[in-house]
Amino acid sequence: MSIELITFIVMLGTFLLGCFLCKLPIGISMVLASVAGALIGGQGVPVVHLVEGMFAYVDTILVIATAMIFMRVIQESGTLDAICATIVERFHKVPALMLIMIMVIIMFPGMITGSSTAAVLSAGSIMAPVLMMMGVPILETAVILSLGGMLGMIAPPTNLPAMIMCGGVDIPYSGFTLPLILLTFPLAFAFVLVLGLKHVKKMNYAEVRAKLNTEVRKKYGFKIYIPLILVVVLMVLNTAVPAIPDMGMPLVFLICSGVGCFTGRKFNILKVSKNAIQSVLPVMGILMGVGMFIQVMTLTGVRGLIVTSCLSLPSWARYIALSTSIPLFGSVSAFGSASVLGVPFVLSFLAKNEIIVVSALSLIASLGDMMPPTAMAGIFAAQVVGMKDYKQIMKKCLLPCLIILVWGVIFILAANFLEPFIVFH
Amino acid sequence: MVLTIIYRLIIALVIALVGWNLFTEKKFTAQLTAAMVLIPLVLRALMIK
Repeated sequence: MSIELITFIVMLGTFLLGCFLCKLPIGISMVLASVAGALIGGQGVPVVHLVEGMFAYVDTILVIATAMIFMRVIQESGTLDAICATIVERFHKVPALMLIMIMVIIMFPGMITGSSTAAVLSAGSIMAPVLMMMGVPILETAVILSLGGMLGMIAPPTNLPAMIMCGGVDIPYSGFTLPLILLTFPLAFAFVLVLGLKHVKKMNYAEVRAKLNTEVRKKYGFKIYIPLILVVVLMVLNTAVPAIPDMGMPLVFLICSGVGCFTGRKFNILKVSKNAIQSVLPVMGILMGVGMFIQVMTLTGVRGLIVTSCLSLPSWARYIALSTSIPLFGSVSAFGSASVLGVPFVLSFLAKNEIIVVSALSLIASLGDMMPPTAMAGIFAAQVVGMKDYKQIMKKCLLPCLIILVWGVIFILAANFLEPFIVFH
Repeated sequence: MVLTIIYRLIIALVIALVGWNLFTEKKFTAQLTAAMVLIPLVLRALMIK
């Protein structure tokens, strides 16, 4: 057994011990695993490398932090309530369309922040009572939230696993919109319809309408929607008018958060921002931990071992390997899985269109968010709907997860065929 | 240049909010996580890294 393999086993073992036995936060468990790996790999405690690893996700952390502030602002100002009421009122006669709109709202924070946790905790927590009000059982509601969160984090414009893989193989994160839309939205719509339609058809509209918050919309009118419209405009501004410099997503979110303070209900922006950061601190900690974990894997040669193992696999075995290893490594972190395994798999599929391959691999990596012990999408969805145990959610999500996996593999297999139709630079 | 200054201010804002959480969190592990997140942010704000 090579020293790299021993180091990897020790790192995984320390991580799992930290999570399960000591009940430490995932981020801290990863730091301990990184230190243990470095010690076994003969590197001592490489402080420089640990700090270097932290920097891998500083930009991502800024996006998550500012996006969460924005989400809380539109939640507090009443924008999300207004959208929710509008959807139910406008589309209650077409339940299928209403469910699809609700799914898009659940996915929206994930699409903006690239985090399934943000989707489940913000829009998910607003939509869960609406879904249950409409007659969707608690378990199905939790499953819809989990899947919406997972697919939302992969849907454009922000897909962190794809960004991580792009960084790893030095390709720009550009031209991904259509492949990611095709990978996520058809599945999201199919899942929400299969899980919810039969229940929503029996909905009592009068009862549901009485529980909707329509006051905000009546009081503030169109201006309640301005922060959301502005965020979309500022995001596409640079693409539409290249002469205007790209201001970056953190600044876009902060500008729109500032605007959101004046378009609806009044609230204390400092407290809201503080609470927003508090809710994403564990995710930020995980990203720090993943950065260190991967840095130590690179330092000790573990990453090289994984890359060479992936590249030396025969063609057919690569599909089996990616279908099993990427979701399983997601038990450490979906982002870590994208970095450690996603990058070598992208390199091993260089004969295929890299944009479609990266998009499909990011979809497969998202399954990591349903993989215990982290299982962030499942755990948070259980919390939001008030279920004590997320095991039932996992069981119910098994088939949808399998479908996601097969959908991703089909895109990789057909990448070169699909390229002329879905990839535009 | 202007964007660099704006982004340093954004980082300063995030540092302040994470720092606020660091001192108001009751759980030691949550404080540890906040402290860990602060390290790269402070280094970036000071343009050390």
